[in-house]
Amino acid sequence: MGKHAQVRVPMTARERNDRIFAGALLLPSVLITVIFILVPVADSVIKSFLDFKVKNIISGTPGSWNHFGNYIKLFSSGRLGMAVAHTLVFVAAVVIAQFILGMILALILNSDIRFTRFVRSIMMAPWVVPTIISGLIWMWMYQPQYGLLKYLVGIFSGGKMTDFAILNDPNTALLGITIAALWKQIPLTTLLLVSGLTNVSADLLEAATIDGANGVKRFVYITIPSIMSVIKITVSMAIIENFKQFPLFWTMTGGGPDNATTTLAILSYREAFVSNNLGSGAAVTTVWMLLMIVVVFVYNRVFKDVEMN
Amino acid sequence: MGARGKKKIWTMAEYLILAVILLFLLFPLYWVLMTSFKTNMEAYRFPPTMVPEAPNVNSYISLFTEDNFFFIYYKNNFIVSGITAAVTLVLAVMSGYALSRFKIRWNRWIVAAFLSAQMFPIVSRMISLYDLLGKIHLINTRAGLILALTAAMLPFAITLMASFFDGIPRELEEAAIVDGAGRIQTLFQIVMPLVKSGMVAVGIYAFLMTWDDYLHAVTLIQNDSLRTLSAGVALRYLGELSYDWSKVNTISVVGILPIMFLFFFFQKYMVKGLVAGAVKG
Repeated sequence: MGKHAQVRVPMTARERNDRIFAGALLLPSVLITVIFILVPVADSVIKSFLDFKVKNIISGTPGSWNHFGNYIKLFSSGRLGMAVAHTLVFVAAVVIAQFILGMILALILNSDIRFTRFVRSIMMAPWVVPTIISGLIWMWMYQPQYGLLKYLVGIFSGGKMTDFAILNDPNTALLGITIAALWKQIPLTTLLLVSGLTNVSADLLEAATIDGANGVKRFVYITIPSIMSVIKITVSMAIIENFKQFPLFWTMTGGGPDNATTTLAILSYREAFVSNNLGSGAAVTTVWMLLMIVVVFVYNRVFKDVEMN
Repeated sequence: MGARGKKKIWTMAEYLILAVILLFLLFPLYWVLMTSFKTNMEAYRFPPTMVPEAPNVNSYISLFTEDNFFFIYYKNNFIVSGITAAVTLVLAVMSGYALSRFKIRWNRWIVAAFLSAQMFPIVSRMISLYDLLGKIHLINTRAGLILALTAAMLPFAITLMASFFDGIPRELEEAAIVDGAGRIQTLFQIVMPLVKSGMVAVGIYAFLMTWDDYLHAVTLIQNDSLRTLSAGVALRYLGELSYDWSKVNTISVVGILPIMFLFFFFQKYMVKGLVAGAVKG
């Protein structure tokens, strides 16, 4: 009872001042976030239901309600479904491959081999390369006439495949971009996983060894559960980043060939800023946000279950 | 085979896998650097040469002398990234401190707003900002671009900064306040010196991420003399048909260098900061 009453005691002058001070410190950031992120996002959701083109901006006329016209057109032309499929395939491929390769590299760097500090430092290099430039680097590797990849594929196929152009073939273009994305993202994933691995209790691992657990068992039953929170954050960062990926696609293929790499990011940009149909672009981004919310929700749900087991 | 032999094979396998992954991560950078020292004649040779036969700096000279556009973009990128990083840092220190120290009722909502802001696709914002910034005459200005980028950087910067403040014991501030120091004085003179490494991490992070921006610049800036590096390079040098590959590779090298130096110079802080922010936050 006594404790309960204490909570209800009116604010002291100091508490009130604390609040005002905290509010003043937060105000500028909150304002910028609201004005430049939350309001625009809400506004673009509204625009997705309007017939709103660049000419509306120029003439200053507001858009008009068009009975879900943007959505209907995108769905019925099959473009939206296709972009959703490409986005999901790309996100799944990059996130899974990145996690497996990053984990392998992290385990090696956490073992007792030499040069690990040096490797940890230089391996970060691709991560700081600006995305557009990483696109250029891989376009040059993939270059259809003089590219290194064409040369290597020629050698490894015993001279059978002499004109391998990964980005020009609708079947392999998405793979080409996936490789470039992996190149830039593996370093950070590895860095975060290594930092998790160094905190795994050595005593626990030793005890398991004494009890006769082999390497795989130790990894599954001790290492993975101990770094679950790091894994969760690393993977969710990767999901969000790759869902939003735009510059790599735009520079490397522009969504082609034959729309094989048209993701939601590319489709929305093309609708809004190439076809100048902002309402249609906004419809794509709205679907995109819903999809992301669903994916993140399911992801959190799955992790909750895993953590409970 | 004995246990020792088995272990030896394991270790060798580890080195082998490590070498393959490192080759994948580092070879493309080597390749770009080498190509930048080749003439176009040699760059277009097939099969390619691993080391330039006649190394030269012609494409660097032509980039530095003929093409002053590149340096306008470069300078713009420094201005935009520098100001964005500075503004982001100041705001992140203020907000991170507030979120870490004063547990007010709507904290949860503010944190939720920041977290969700990180998730929204940039194109979605651009569609609306293109219109909104036009109305308040901030389209095609550095100020508009910097504000939009600052908003994009803030959510992560604030959570990162708050995690650093969480690591500082409160007793220090309480002692200072008992001694009669004001709140602002306490923040600046007592607490801030203790989170210096966190501030370096947040500042560099914001600079790095802004340097990488493409989508904001390409939609909010149409004036060529205000373009930043990524947007400028993509629009000017990536023609549809013939790429001047020596020059493109030279541009890549020059575009990477400052950020690479910055990162390796401050790597200690960056790595610690990112790990702390991502793992705790």
